[in-house]
Amino acid sequence: MTERIVFVVGAGAAGLAAAWAAARHGATVRLVDSGSGVSALVGGAADHRPWEEIARAVALRGQTPLAGELPAGVADFAADLDLWSLPLAEEPLLRLATEAGRLRTARGADSALLDWTQIPAGGRVILPRAIRSEWDAGSLARSLREDTYVRSRGLKLEVVDAKLFKLQGEERIAPADLALRHDEPQRLAWLEMRLGQLVAEAGASDAILLGPWLGVRSPVASVLSKNLGLVVGEVLSGVGGAAGLRFEFARERMLAKLGIELQLACVEAVEPVEDGYALSIEGRQPPEIADAVVLAIGGVAAGGVVYCAPETRAGRDAPDRGSRAFKLSLDAPVDLRAHGKRLDVTSSIHGPRMDDCAWPIDADPGLLEAVGVDCDPTGRVLPGLYAAGDAVGDAPRTVLEAVASGIRAAAAACLTEID
Amino acid sequence: MRPPRKLRQARERDVDVVVIGGGVNGTGVARDAAMRGLRVALFERNDLAFGASGNSSGMIHGGVRYLRTDPEVTQTSCRDSGHIQAIAPHLLFRIPFLLPFPSRKSWLFPLVDAYFEAYDRYQPLKRGKPHTRLTPDELRELEPGIVGDLCGGISFDEWGIDGARLCTANAVDARERGAKLFVGVTVERVERGPDGEVEAVRYRDRHDGRVGRLTTASVVNATGAWAPITASLGDVAPTAARVRPGKGIHVVFDRRLTNYAVMSETIDGRSIFIEPWQNMSVIGTTDDDYYGDLDDVVANSEEVRYLVEGLAKVFPAIRQGRIIGTTAGVRPTLYEYGKLEDELSREHAIVDHAEHGADGMYSMLGGKLASFRLFAQEMVDVLARRFDLSRTCTTHLTALPGGDEEVDAFRLSGELDIDAIAARRLVYRHGSRAWRIGEQMKRDPRQRRTVCVCEPVLEAEVRYVIEHEMARSVSAVSRRTRLGLGACGGMRCVARCGTLLAEQRGMSPLAGMRDAMQFMTRQARTRVCGLGPQQARQEALCIAQLRSQIGIVAKPSLAAVPERLPVDGDSETEVTTMSPAREAGAPQDGGQGD
Repeated sequence: MTERIVFVVGAGAAGLAAAWAAARHGATVRLVDSGSGVSALVGGAADHRPWEEIARAVALRGQTPLAGELPAGVADFAADLDLWSLPLAEEPLLRLATEAGRLRTARGADSALLDWTQIPAGGRVILPRAIRSEWDAGSLARSLREDTYVRSRGLKLEVVDAKLFKLQGEERIAPADLALRHDEPQRLAWLEMRLGQLVAEAGASDAILLGPWLGVRSPVASVLSKNLGLVVGEVLSGVGGAAGLRFEFARERMLAKLGIELQLACVEAVEPVEDGYALSIEGRQPPEIADAVVLAIGGVAAGGVVYCAPETRAGRDAPDRGSRAFKLSLDAPVDLRAHGKRLDVTSSIHGPRMDDCAWPIDADPGLLEAVGVDCDPTGRVLPGLYAAGDAVGDAPRTVLEAVASGIRAAAAACLTEID
Repeated sequence: MRPPRKLRQARERDVDVVVIGGGVNGTGVARDAAMRGLRVALFERNDLAFGASGNSSGMIHGGVRYLRTDPEVTQTSCRDSGHIQAIAPHLLFRIPFLLPFPSRKSWLFPLVDAYFEAYDRYQPLKRGKPHTRLTPDELRELEPGIVGDLCGGISFDEWGIDGARLCTANAVDARERGAKLFVGVTVERVERGPDGEVEAVRYRDRHDGRVGRLTTASVVNATGAWAPITASLGDVAPTAARVRPGKGIHVVFDRRLTNYAVMSETIDGRSIFIEPWQNMSVIGTTDDDYYGDLDDVVANSEEVRYLVEGLAKVFPAIRQGRIIGTTAGVRPTLYEYGKLEDELSREHAIVDHAEHGADGMYSMLGGKLASFRLFAQEMVDVLARRFDLSRTCTTHLTALPGGDEEVDAFRLSGELDIDAIAARRLVYRHGSRAWRIGEQMKRDPRQRRTVCVCEPVLEAEVRYVIEHEMARSVSAVSRRTRLGLGACGGMRCVARCGTLLAEQRGMSPLAGMRDAMQFMTRQARTRVCGLGPQQARQEALCIAQLRSQIGIVAKPSLAAVPERLPVDGDSETEVTTMSPAREAGAPQDGGQGD
């Protein structure tokens, strides 16, 4: 039997996991990506179930669950990726401080982030002041001091003045750029020296919380922690932080090891042909042929699923025909679903009524989060055609679920015979 | 000088006049009355400029539309537009309009030309330029996006203004002249004496629940569309202060999409427009009778589509524009039965409720943004007669806060080492008071941090509006600074604004975050009704970010709940600390906590 060709569209967490798993199953893997998605934008926390769900359960039961088992293959993938710290099933969940000032649980996290469970009870945490738009040590400390976990463990938060940026204008550059600068050994040594002085002046401390500035290619946080003899780590930041860039570099390393080339290209259509699928790629001829395809193109946030408002057809008086409210960003023989129902043609020529259904209400995700490919639990749409990650309808929008679904889809893609 | 006799009698009360309503009329009356030496208290149930004043088209236009039916309105609007320019020059910006004219109506063109010639007579009152007649080619050269079979066009001149800033400026000035301002405080009852005369108001703070009573010699009901409700609080029949509430919405697009404001017609023949407004474009407006909840007016997708389709007739590229929000307000038009909304008079009227047995109670009905100052003057003239006060109105001669001198934004930017655009926005909103915010940044350089990147808004300004401009919530900060109204929908800034609010007002950080989430939830409702593909993606990203950072919670409560936590990694102990809300016995809401 010749090697199966598995084509993975999208190289976020789900696509990367699918490529990794398909390669392990001995398939020939083609991987294409057409720009930054959610994995590269929102970053730091590696959740499995949404943390809010855990928080709700805690509120009801009054007890924080342990980390718990992960789906098959996830831990192996994470070990190969070497980006996240994932506690074992019987260990406690991680605790991360968010930029917004909450202390939340997480199943795993980018290793540069400060895991608050590592700080000894009664420990002292230092938050240096800095003029950056994403960082207000004073109000962060104020918010975190009120947190139940911080109080129950008797943690002391202290805000101190510090000069942490070496060059002029660094208070205004993007956090990821600042993080990149700390990959330089000299620059890292300078930061270590500054933080060392800080600790010397502030007195015995157990941890330093910083913004998302701690390196991209190299493990700056762990180097600092080791050399300074206390836990140094980042806050969980949002869009534009360093964690997304770190994911991209980790991906580069992993793909190099696997010998898979990441092609930057835009897949326009996936069509069933006699012996598999034909993928039309923008600006290329002829189409590529694959035995199986994994669509890991993300949901609405990543651009994999597109909301099609009829207004946007410029120059026309009315849309040509009734349409579905959402479509995939590429042509493929798939249906979409949300909230357990297949999406139908909306019964207004002017498109759906988004007024109440787009934004999440109570515990239910809104349409924008829920919508995705209608597929079976392995991600199968048709024999040989799979969806993974946020592209799957009604799947939780979490990193580890994306990884798990990528692995599941790739496993199925490598084993299924095409009729 | 001894105060007049009637005023001395009134002085047995806590204040001479209670103004209810923090819109442009209410704040205008409070300012005028305070300037003439009256002791004033103003109550606003929600926030300054919460209703029609803060959701208008953002123009103090001369009312060219009313020239046909109410030339008086046009004249007074133009004159007062001129006065506003004199007292708050920093808040105004010129909006030149284009009116494309279809060939099928070409026989009407000379008439319209003559109509605008009549309007030109009023233009000098507001430093406006006279209209010009344009050929189709000239029209397309000025605005290449215009399509259609046109026989020509007309240009005319109007002025834009930020209505919320105008209200804030009036309110701040009133307060600095001794008026007491109660923002977020609702009047629950107007108490009347044995002869029916106004005696006092009872009020309740909607933020902390505190109640109080204030005696007064008169009450001015300046509550716009709420006017009948307010009248009924004093046992005056609601029909005595009747208005015909007309809901109007605007659709807000990212960036300035046109050079000029462009007029168009909707499918039912109503005039609408797109105007470049500050750093956005705005389409308006609808006018529909409204019977819903006045505290919760939002645009819906049908209204958005009606406007977009109407504008696409002359400017089809609008269909590709990115809608980043909508605004909605309810006009308090004078009551008439049996007329179409657009035909209703934009005149204003003062009702003296003495005729309904409530001596000392007045209702201000109708009116429009451009003539608010005049309306306030007329109202305070009535009060002046009541109190035998001889001082005349000077509101058109005295600069509003920040309007006294021009500020060079580049100098401000250089001196404070802040972004030039941020400095320019600061000067627009605060005029010469931008320097006061600058002083804050000099004292504490960390306040130069950008909170809202889209607008942009700096930390110093957020703190300033909370401390000096009566902003009590994230939405109030947004109304004063336009924080969180850009393309990102507040994704980057609300949490930060919430913590700043909490810090400035001595609230718990969780309360600040809760307030921020309330703002987000409400704002999302104003955006989703106009979603396009790009904004839909942004919304999804925004939801992902909020989930990760704060947690989108079941109910707007982040109250801490007790949790069993492992301490030292081995033993489990019950954590008994609770939030104040829990201690006060507030119901558990299944919200989240950790």
